[in-house]
Amino acid sequence: MEERLYDLIFICRPDTPEAEVDKLIATLEHSVAEKSAKIEKIEKWGRKRMAYRVRKLREGFYVYMSIRSNHGELIKELERRLKVADPVIKYLTIRIDEEMKRQQKLAKHRERRAARRPRKPAPTPAPQPGEQTASAAG
Amino acid sequence: MADPNVPQQPPAAAPPAESSALAEQKPAAAPAAEATPATAPSSAPSGQSSGQSSSVPSRGPSSGGYQGNRGPSRGPGGPGGGGAGGRPGPGGGPHKRGKRNYIRKKKVCRFCVDRVDYIDYKKADILAPFIQERGKILPRRMTGTCARHQRWLTVAIKRAQNIALLPFAAEF
Repeated sequence: MEERLYDLIFICRPDTPEAEVDKLIATLEHSVAEKSAKIEKIEKWGRKRMAYRVRKLREGFYVYMSIRSNHGELIKELERRLKVADPVIKYLTIRIDEEMKRQQKLAKHRERRAARRPRKPAPTPAPQPGEQTASAAG
Repeated sequence: MADPNVPQQPPAAAPPAESSALAEQKPAAAPAAEATPATAPSSAPSGQSSGQSSSVPSRGPSSGGYQGNRGPSRGPGGPGGGGAGGRPGPGGGPHKRGKRNYIRKKKVCRFCVDRVDYIDYKKADILAPFIQERGKILPRRMTGTCARHQRWLTVAIKRAQNIALLPFAAEF
C-alpha cells in the first residue's frame, strides 16, 4: 500500500489537565511508531468553543495530528484508542493525501503557466492604447 | 460610420444622455450603447461601429465589442450584460442610468481570486462566510463561487461540521 496522509483531530473535555492530554498524545504516538508510520505534525489548538454542544459541553480541547502511514490498520487502532479514552469527546480522521496531490498538481501547473506567461502579455495591453486613441480622436 | 445599422442604433447612439429614458422602451439597444460611453465617454462612434457592422474591428475596445455582441442577441438580458461589461469604467456609468437598470456587480469567485488550490476545513473563519446563520451552506448563485471551488468548499464545510468547528444548525 502506498503511503497515505491522514489528519486526525480529537477533542478532549475542557477540564482535562494538560498532562493527561499529553499522556494521551504519547500513547497515540507510541502506536503510530509501532506501525512504523510517521507523525508529521502535532498541534495543540487548546481550548476552543465548539460550534454545537457535544456531550453537553460547549468547549473542548482540540488536538490536531498529521500522520503519514502506509498501514490501514493503524487508523483503526488509533480510533479504537480514542473511542476508549475517557477524556476524548469527539474525534475525526480524514485521509487527505489525494487532495494534497491535487493541490500540488495545480500549483505546479500554475507555476508552469506563470513561467510561460512573460511571452504572452503582448496582446492584452494592446486594446488599452487603442481605447485611449479612440477617446482622444472623438 | 454605422449607416446600415438597424433602426435601434441611431436614437441611442446620437444622444447618450437621453438614453436613460429610451432604455425603458428599448432595453436591447440602450444598455449596449449606454454602457460604452461609460468606458470611453467621448468615443461614441467606436461603440456604435462595434455594435454590429465590423467596419472598424481593430478600434473597438474589448469591452465595447463584447457588449455589442451581447446586446442584440439577448434583449432581456441587456441590463445584466451592460453591468458586466461596464465594469472597467463604473465611474462614468451610474449617474447616466435609469432607475431600473442598476449595475449588477459581477460576482467573482473569491477562491479563484486568491488562487486557492485547497480549501482547508480546519480554517473555520474562512468557511464561515459561506454558511447561513442557520447553518446552511450558501448556494453558488449567492456567493459567486465557481463550480470547482464550491465543490471543494462543501466538502470542507461538511468536514468542519463533523469536528464541531462549524455548526450543523443554529442552536437555541
